[in-house]
Amino acid sequence: MTLTLSEAGQTVVAGTFGRAMKRAGEALGSMSGQIIDVQTPMLRRCSAADVLVMAGGPESVVLAVYVGITGSMQGHALLLFSPADAHRLAQILLAGLLGPGELPMEKSNDILNYDELELSALQEAGNVTISAFLNELGMHLHEPVQPTPPQVVIEMAGAVLDAVLLDLMSEADQVLAAKTTFSEGGRAIDGTLFVLPRPDSLRVLLDALGAIGI
Amino acid sequence: MTVAESPNLMVAGIGEMVLSSSADAHLVAYGLGSCIALAVWDPRTKVGGLAHFMLPAGPANGSSPVKFIDSGLDLFLQAIEARGAMLSRCSVKAAGAAAMLTVGGGLAIGKRNSEALESALRDRGLNLTASALGGTAGRTVQLEVADGRFLIKSLSSVTEL
Repeated sequence: MTLTLSEAGQTVVAGTFGRAMKRAGEALGSMSGQIIDVQTPMLRRCSAADVLVMAGGPESVVLAVYVGITGSMQGHALLLFSPADAHRLAQILLAGLLGPGELPMEKSNDILNYDELELSALQEAGNVTISAFLNELGMHLHEPVQPTPPQVVIEMAGAVLDAVLLDLMSEADQVLAAKTTFSEGGRAIDGTLFVLPRPDSLRVLLDALGAIGI
Repeated sequence: MTVAESPNLMVAGIGEMVLSSSADAHLVAYGLGSCIALAVWDPRTKVGGLAHFMLPAGPANGSSPVKFIDSGLDLFLQAIEARGAMLSRCSVKAAGAAAMLTVGGGLAIGKRNSEALESALRDRGLNLTASALGGTAGRTVQLEVADGRFLIKSLSSVTEL
C-alpha cells in the first residue's frame, strides 16, 4: 500500500518527526553527559539509491543500531556512526561507569574491533535515542509505538540498509526517509538517525495529527 | 588481489544491471546485504553482465528493471545475449542473500532470494557455477570483464570465485 503525501502533509510529518528527533538528541545527550546539537531534520521521499547516499554511500562502513518500530505506527529506525565516532562515544559512555582507580579500557588499533562492553553501551545508546523518538511520536499518535529489541552491527551501510529497504519497497519504488545528525561539538561525534516508516503507517500518523486529506 | 577502482567501473545499483564487452570494464555492485548479485560472463566473446536483484517476485518495473528476480532475470539474460553471449557457455556466479538484521523476516528474505534465483536459473536450463550466498556479512562484488573473475569483498577479506 502506498500513500501519496501532499506537500502540506509532508510538512506536518516533518514537524512532528523534527520534534521527536530533538527529543532523541536530548536523550543521547543526557545519557552521554554531553551537549548534543541536533541538525534540522530532513524528510524526503526518495529511492533506494537516495537512501544509500544519505547514509554516506553503500560501501561506507558504519556501526548501526537497528530498532524496528511496531504498534500503531510501523517502520524502521537506525542510528548510524562512523567506526571512529562510535569508539569515541563508547569511551564517553563507559568513562562514567569506571570507579576510582579503575583503568580505562585498552584501545585496539583496529577501529572495527569493539569489546562486548563497548557494543553493549552503544546498543543501549541507540535504544535510548530511538525510544525517545518513539515516545514523542506516541504522544502525537495518542497510542503507544513500541521498539523491537535493538541490534547492533558493524557493516557496509548498503548491506545494513538493504534489509530495511527490501521490507519497505516490495510494493513501492520510493520510501519516506527522515534523517538528522547529532553532533557533540567538543569531540566531534556525529551520529545519524534514520527513520523509515511503512507507507500505510503514515496514514495513521496523518489521521492522528488531523492532517489526513491535506 | 584488490577490488579495482578505475574509470571503467560500471555500478549496478539496487534493481539495476550493467553490461559490457570492454576488456577494461569492471562491473560492480556495492554493499549487498540481503540483495543478490548475479554475474554472467561468456569466455569466448568476453561479454559480461551484472544484475543487482532486490526481491524474489514482483511486477516488471521501468526504473528498476531487475528489482525482482522473476520479472527481471529474462530481461537480464536477453540483454547479455543481445551483446553476443551464448548462455550455454557462460559462467554464472552469484553472491549476497545474507541475513544482516532480523528485520521483518530479514532472515528469510535473503534465503528466499537465493532460492528464487537458483530455481529461476534451473527453469532456464542454467546452474550457478560458483556462489557465495547466505551468511551474515555484507559484500561488494566485482566482475572483471577481461577474464571473468568475480571478486567478493567483505569487511574482513577479498575472495575470488
